[in-house]
Amino acid sequence: MKLNGSEIIAECLLEQGVDTVFGYPGGAVLNIYDALYKYSDKITHILSSHEQGAAHAADGYARTTGKCGVVIATSGPGATNLVTGIATAYMDSVPVVAITGNVTNDLLARDSFQEVDICGISMPITKHNFIVKDVNDLANVIRKAFRIAMSGRKGPVLIDIPKDVTGAICEYEPVKPAAIVNPTVSEKADFEEAAKIIAGSKRPMIYMGGGVVSADAENEVLAFAEKVDCPVATSIMGLGGFPASHRLFMGTIGMHGGYETGKATDNCDLIITVGARFSDRVAGDREKFGKNAKIVQLDIDKAEINKNVKIDSYILGDLKSTLKILTDIVEKADHSDWIAQVNEWGENSGVSETPKSDNYAHPYHVIEAVRALTKDSDIIVTDVGQHQMWVSQKYRFEEPRTWCTSGGLGTMGYGLGAAVGSAVAHPEKRVVLFTGDGSFHMNLNELATVCSYNLNIKVIVMNNTVLGMVRQWQKLFYGRRFSQTDPHRKTDFAKLAEAFGIKGMRIHNDEDAESVLREAFSTNDPVVIDCRISPDENVLPMIPPGKTVDELITEME
Amino acid sequence: MENKQIIGLLVHNHPGVLLRVTSLISRRGFNIDSLTVSPAGLDGYSRMTIRINGDDSKVEQFISQMLKIVDVKRAEVLPEDDSVASELILIKIGTDGHDNNEIIEVTAKYHASLVNIGEHSMTFRASGTPHEIDTLVSELEKYGILEMARTGIAALENGDKKLSN
Repeated sequence: MKLNGSEIIAECLLEQGVDTVFGYPGGAVLNIYDALYKYSDKITHILSSHEQGAAHAADGYARTTGKCGVVIATSGPGATNLVTGIATAYMDSVPVVAITGNVTNDLLARDSFQEVDICGISMPITKHNFIVKDVNDLANVIRKAFRIAMSGRKGPVLIDIPKDVTGAICEYEPVKPAAIVNPTVSEKADFEEAAKIIAGSKRPMIYMGGGVVSADAENEVLAFAEKVDCPVATSIMGLGGFPASHRLFMGTIGMHGGYETGKATDNCDLIITVGARFSDRVAGDREKFGKNAKIVQLDIDKAEINKNVKIDSYILGDLKSTLKILTDIVEKADHSDWIAQVNEWGENSGVSETPKSDNYAHPYHVIEAVRALTKDSDIIVTDVGQHQMWVSQKYRFEEPRTWCTSGGLGTMGYGLGAAVGSAVAHPEKRVVLFTGDGSFHMNLNELATVCSYNLNIKVIVMNNTVLGMVRQWQKLFYGRRFSQTDPHRKTDFAKLAEAFGIKGMRIHNDEDAESVLREAFSTNDPVVIDCRISPDENVLPMIPPGKTVDELITEME
Repeated sequence: MENKQIIGLLVHNHPGVLLRVTSLISRRGFNIDSLTVSPAGLDGYSRMTIRINGDDSKVEQFISQMLKIVDVKRAEVLPEDDSVASELILIKIGTDGHDNNEIIEVTAKYHASLVNIGEHSMTFRASGTPHEIDTLVSELEKYGILEMARTGIAALENGDKKLSN
């Protein structure tokens, strides 16, 4: 059948099973939005306040569903506003297809109105990108884009389409997408070598990351951990990939990980790394990380092998398959003495949980109060900063894809957009956004979106009136010179919410936290809660950058 | 061991592929001293030959990163002792105050041809292994090199092996 480029886009989205897209209209995508109007019974379009919010929403949608997120923006500023969102998705290996309009072919390269070379701009933050100059190439490019985004190590792909291509007509034939199969690259001998190293270990631990969640390998990693009988630490990205209530779960590893994960990393004789990448926030000192241990790594991306930390043995391929093969050949082990030792370290975190004064709530208390009101399947989203680390330390995640946070890029302003995407994907679930007053100020414009679609999002602004994480580093490393971290803002987040048409509430201290949260969680409507936290609360424990657990900070003013 | 290794890349002949490769080289901090692009003798593909500085693990990482580029089909080390590598140089030497015959004698050792004579200069063309070209350049330095252009390295593996296999 003959269709125009925009109808071909819509048909190709349907081929891929896409029923929801996020975006913002504009001149260069008028044809595409005209097609979305026509296809509105099959494709739901969620309109954001700003393209960045739409990009984060597509990311949150992808993280919580396992499907590919889709975001549409116009040329020029529409496209550049996606950049932070695309980079966020890229750093965390989240599959997103971004479709941008561009000026017509005959206006390209002339500095035309709202023209920008988004392919050039997005090259280092996408797995791949395309500019489609001929409508005859369009359908296949879209199919390829989804395939690239969803195969191997997942990630964002951008398709830039000049406006005339979206209006040009050509023949379209539907094509059913072929299933994506990621091969197991490693051979029998590689598995046997890894199994032999594991069999020789007396004090093994697992360090798992977002790759486990991305590969939907949570059951496989659990079976493996139980058979090897070893404690499990997750990166921030790995949270939810292993049940927090499990006896083998230690918590997060790295800069703000628990004391026991740090001690275990230093004292174990084997680290089995599963879908994780030894970032500087985990392996602060690359030379000393796991200095007494061998390292076995399972990953889908060959470029992660020996990138940051030298490893002893590796297995390449899709984690769901490779973990199963490895589990089948490893010997059943019992490491109860070692696990007892790790648990003993766990009881000595040395971190205070009392609020700094009666005029404030303690962040841990608020997080635990929220946890008491949420189901395991409810979705937790954060922004970036102290609140993010507190949630990663304290919230007990039981299920994968219930956790959205910008782990790699550390994007302040990520949270509200990602919460919108999560809530749109899961109308049956409750979505809780923990944010800080700093992060929230960046993209709170998406409250308008939350109100328009009446999304069941509870926004908890951990309001300490300062840029807490940077301030904490200024306390530790810059002689308490609080340069630009105390903005003296008077924003009343409860009133602000009301202005957007959303209910606003306040938590003043630990006393009223439970009752306010209970009331907020009693409805399916959005609520913004301004929660007072002391500006002097710190995220502890903390391994200073570039150091090991030997220099752990557990107390500070 | 820190050394120089030559890597052959077979890439889809798409617009922007050179930028994808060089942009990745730059942002991953690889140190390259030669890069050439040419037709690969295979429809739809180009061949890039890149020489990088670095130990074996750096080279391994380089290849893994290159293979993540969708348009890169193959990336392999072309081992120095099992490959032929050549490049071509055009070099212009100042002749004032020198014995032209002496210069011609030096260049003859490298089978360089005299391709142009100016009022105060001679231009030679030579081809050879990167090492031979380096030696030629250093021998000619004392006569005063006015300018030079090198094509960069082209390399193929010995025997019947091909990148596209």
